[in-house]
Amino acid sequence: MSDAIIKTVQLTKEYGRGATLTRALRGVDLEIPRGSFTCIIGPSGHGKSTLMHLIGGLDRPSGGSVIIDGQQISSLSEKGLAALRASKIGFVFQFFNLLQSLTAAENIETALMLAGVPEAKQKPRALELLELVGLSEKADSKPGQLSGGQQQRVAIARALANDPPVLLMDEPTGNLDSAAEAEVMAVLEELNKKGKTVILVTHSSEIAARAGNLVRVRDGQIEAA
Amino acid sequence: MTLGKLVFKNLTRRRGRFVFTLLGIIIGMGSFVAFMSLGGSLKSQIERESAALGANLVVTPKGSCAYEQVAILTGEQLPTTITAEEVAAIRSIPGMRAIPYLAERSAIENRPVSVMGILPAETKEIKGWKLSAGSYFPTETTEGAVLGAVLAEQFALAPGSEVRIRGEMIPVLGVLSETGGKDDLTVFLAMPLAQRLYKQKNTVSYVAVRVDRIDEVDLYALKIKEKVSLGVVSDKQMLGSVLSIVGTVNVTLQLIAAVAILAAAFGIVNTMMTATYERKREIGILQAMGAPRSTIFRLFLLESAIYGLLGGIGGAVLGFAASIVAAPYISQNAATSFVKGSQASIDPVMLIGAVLFSTLVAMVSGLYPAWKASKLSPVEAISYE
Ligand SMILES: Nc1ncnc2c1ncn2[C@@H]1O[C@H](COP(=O)(O)OP(=O)(O)OP(=O)(O)O)[C@@H](O)[C@H]1O
Ligand SMILES: [Mg+2]
Repeated sequence: MSDAIIKTVQLTKEYGRGATLTRALRGVDLEIPRGSFTCIIGPSGHGKSTLMHLIGGLDRPSGGSVIIDGQQISSLSEKGLAALRASKIGFVFQFFNLLQSLTAAENIETALMLAGVPEAKQKPRALELLELVGLSEKADSKPGQLSGGQQQRVAIARALANDPPVLLMDEPTGNLDSAAEAEVMAVLEELNKKGKTVILVTHSSEIAARAGNLVRVRDGQIEAA
Repeated sequence: MTLGKLVFKNLTRRRGRFVFTLLGIIIGMGSFVAFMSLGGSLKSQIERESAALGANLVVTPKGSCAYEQVAILTGEQLPTTITAEEVAAIRSIPGMRAIPYLAERSAIENRPVSVMGILPAETKEIKGWKLSAGSYFPTETTEGAVLGAVLAEQFALAPGSEVRIRGEMIPVLGVLSETGGKDDLTVFLAMPLAQRLYKQKNTVSYVAVRVDRIDEVDLYALKIKEKVSLGVVSDKQMLGSVLSIVGTVNVTLQLIAAVAILAAAFGIVNTMMTATYERKREIGILQAMGAPRSTIFRLFLLESAIYGLLGGIGGAVLGFAASIVAAPYISQNAATSFVKGSQASIDPVMLIGAVLFSTLVAMVSGLYPAWKASKLSPVEAISYE
């Protein structure tokens, strides 16, 4: 597969120094095909989140390189990196994804604002996205008034705000029961069918079994499948 | 969503903290504005009084100091030690007019008022008084009172009524037109009656002198000193020394206000620091959503600027209200009695200045917290629970 939307070359990440040095990633070579449904699995503390942060441009590597949609991120400034996150990547984390003082719609509108969408066009787009995740009627609810699964679906809707080619999710269903997990997975599979590259970290073997592309992380390295 | 709306949502999410931080700024700015506005009206009032005195030189008892000079401008009671012979000697110098005053205090309905013994005809001419009701002293020795306009209104006195001074009922002859100065709050008596009531045998408090040639005012000061052994000050010296006393009082009050503002500024720093800690994770989420550091910085800086803006507006309103309400009540003291009867003026330049200043202070207070917030690394922020 030559068309990789994300590519890493000898990627390393170290935290701390001296006695507290942790080598979270030790030379990761990875290619994630455009339009794939990729699951990243592996034991706890072996570098999955670290890898997600690096391929999403949230953090910079200690060594090696990350290429996102043809762009080498080490050459980008802080500002350039932020712009890249706004346009190319939609993030969803395990919990507390939403800005607590804002309603579901306002959370999405904030993402649109950051991408430079004028205010007048924000609301219709936000409602459209909420409908996509089946939460139209919750537009004016604050996160505290939503269930965990609903919150995650709002987070997904928000991640989609700027129509990024890649959705990066770190255990998006880690805090959910199986029913809520099924709802979220249904949304993600639907999005993947429409062409989004979906990358998600999971501890669930059921989800992993449905992935088109499986990446195993162990000890900061990619294990051969 | 706009950055401004996001700022307002954040600002009001902790209502109590928002209100208390804002109150701090309002109180700090309010006291600052109140002191400024009181001080400003005090100063212009003093300048008006000095002009109303209509004198280039003032002859005061020997050894008098700044206190007596303040008292002359405020109408406080003064030691009465200048004798009739001294007054006559001063009045005999050609090229100038010298008018003696006897400055005393009395009370009407338990409220203190100034009582002045004057030379009716000459004082009226020098001061340019006009009457609004009744008649003026027909002779230099008439036993009656002419009242300042505000005083007459305050105590509902009119020609035909009587006013009790030192236990004696004195008929009111007339009421002066408003002058805008302390004369409005004074009871005027012809000198002989004033001296009799206050048991001053032919003595007066001070003598106001107007010279014909203003450029020779120093020469006349010397001439007076040759004739009598009394203190002589020019109106400029007097104005200068009174203003410097008032200035010192003002500066002291403003320093106190500055401390209040400083405390409020640290209140903002504290509130904003707490907010950056509380919203650490949200900062990370915003960064993941693509917010650059500059946006995070602006988000927090604007939030603290709004404290300053709202606090400045609230403080200006509170301060002006306080100065208007307080003005009549702080009139018992010599240095502030000018304000009595005068409205503290609302100066739009000062109002806008106060709001701008307060906003600036708040923005400076918000710099460090905003910088701290913008320096958070996305991963550090996102990992925070
Ligand atoms: N900010 C940090 N500072 C120091 N060490 C860190 C930091 N973040 C992660 N690590 C270390 O890096 C290693 C990999 O962590 P990472 O969070 O990537 O694991 P993970 O695979 O996501 O685990 P989990 O499944 O529990 O989420 C761990 O040993 C962790 O302690
Ligand atoms: Mg993890």
